[in-house]
Amino acid sequence: METLARIGRFGLFGAAVARRVFTPPWNARDFFRHTWLVSTRCMGPVVAVTFPFGMVIGLQGLQIFDLFGAQRMLPSLISVAVLRELSPMLASVLVAAQGGSSFAAELGAMRIKEELDATEVMAVDSLRWHVVPRVLALMLATPVLNVMGTVAGLLGGFVMAVPIQGEPGGVFLANLWAFTVPFDLAVGVVKTVVFGLLIGLVACFHGYYATGGAAGVGKSVNDTVVHAVLLFFAANYLLTSAMFSP
Amino acid sequence: MSWLATIGRFAGFCFDLARANALRRPPPGRTMEEAYRIGVQSLPVLLLISVFVGTNLSLQGYAAFTPLGGQRLVGMFVALAGVRELAPIIAATMVAAKAGTEMASQIAVMRTREQVDALEVMAINPLWWLVTPRFLAIVLVMPALTVVAIFTTIASSWLVATAQLGLNGTEFLDFVRTSIDAKDLVACELKGMLFGVVICLVSCFCGFTSTKGPEGVGQATNSAVVIASVSCVTLNFLLSQVLYG
Repeated sequence: METLARIGRFGLFGAAVARRVFTPPWNARDFFRHTWLVSTRCMGPVVAVTFPFGMVIGLQGLQIFDLFGAQRMLPSLISVAVLRELSPMLASVLVAAQGGSSFAAELGAMRIKEELDATEVMAVDSLRWHVVPRVLALMLATPVLNVMGTVAGLLGGFVMAVPIQGEPGGVFLANLWAFTVPFDLAVGVVKTVVFGLLIGLVACFHGYYATGGAAGVGKSVNDTVVHAVLLFFAANYLLTSAMFSP
Repeated sequence: MSWLATIGRFAGFCFDLARANALRRPPPGRTMEEAYRIGVQSLPVLLLISVFVGTNLSLQGYAAFTPLGGQRLVGMFVALAGVRELAPIIAATMVAAKAGTEMASQIAVMRTREQVDALEVMAINPLWWLVTPRFLAIVLVMPALTVVAIFTTIASSWLVATAQLGLNGTEFLDFVRTSIDAKDLVACELKGMLFGVVICLVSCFCGFTSTKGPEGVGQATNSAVVIASVSCVTLNFLLSQVLYG
C-alpha cells in the first residue's frame, strides 16, 4: 500500500508542477543556469558511452552481415540502432545518472537543511522557484544531449567499420545517407523530450520529499536513478510500439 | 589536473584494498548477507528492464529487417544483440544504479557519521571490513544476474515477436539457438564478473572519498553511478573487441 500511496503523491506532485509551468511568474534565470549545468556535466559521459557503443554495433553488425556478404548494409543497421534506440536510451540513462541524481541530491540537501522550508516562510513558492526550472531544464537538455550522442554513436560505428575493419569509407557514408531519414532523428528527439520530463519529475519528487538526514539524501538519489530508468524504459516500449508497429 | 590525482588515488585505493586482504580471510558471514542484498534487491529492477529491452529489440529488429524482406532474421538479431552485448551491459548498469549507488551512499554516510574512523579506532581495517564482502558478493552475483537478464530478454522478445508482430515462434527460437553457442555464454559471464569488479571498486572508492554532510553523500552517490556505468561501457567495447573481434 505504501507504494500505491507514493504513486499517488507522485501524480499530485506532477500536477502541481504542471500547473506552475503554465502560469507566471517564471524563474527563467535558474532555468537557463540548470540547462547549461546539466548539458555541460552530462556531455562527457554521454559521448563517452555512445561512442564505444557505436563501435560495438559496428563490430557485431559486421559479423551478422558477413554471413550474407552484405557488409554494405552495415550503415543502415548502425543508423537505425543509434538514432532510434541506443542514443536516446543511453543519453537518458546518463542524464538520469548524472543530471537527475544531482538534482535529487541538491533538492534533498535543501530539504534536510530546511532551506526549502525557509523559502516557503519567505512566501516564495518552492515548487515554482526550485522544481519547475529543473524539470524544464532536463526536458530541454536531454534532446540536445541525445543529438550529441547520436553523432558520437555514428562516428563510433564509422571508426569501427572503416579504419579498423577496413570497409570502404565511401560506400559506408553513401549507405548511411541513403538509409537515414529525418524521421529517425525526430523519433529520438520526441523520445528524449518525454524521457527528460520523466527524469526531471522523478528526480525532483525524490529530492523534494527526502527525509532522514544524510542517509535520506543518499536513498533519494539511489531511488531517483532506479525509478527514472524503469519509468522511461517502460515509456520507450510504448513510444516505439506507437511509432513503428506494423 | 584534479582528475589525474583522482585516478592516482583510485589506484592507491585498489592497492590498499589488495594489501588489506593479503594473507587474510574475508570477514566471516558478511559476504552472503551482501550477496543477498545486491542480488535480490537488484533483481526486480533488472527483470523489468530486461523485459523492455527484449520487447524493443524485437520491434526494432522487425522494423530494420522488413524492408530487406528478412523478418525471419529477427531471432538472430535478438540473439546476437541481446545476448552478446546488451544483457551483460544492462545487468551492469542496473547493478550500478541500484547496488552501486547503495554502496556509495552507505559508505559515505558512515564517513559522515565518523563510523569509518570508529572502525579504525577499533583496529579493524575499514577497507577489509566494508569493501571485501561487497567485492566478493558482487563477483558472485553478477554472473547469475547476467543469466537472468539473458533469459528475460529472449523470453520477452519472443513474446513480442509472436504475439505483437505475428512471427513464427519456433523459427524465431531456432534462429536464437543457432546464432549463439556456449562460448557466447561464457563470454557473457566473464563480462558480467569484470563489470561487477569495476562497479564495486568505483562505488566504494566514491563512498570513501566523499566529503562530509548531505551534499557529500549525494555527490558521492551521483559520481559513483556515472563513473561506474561509463567505465563499464568502455570496458565492454574492449572486451567485445578481444572476445569477438
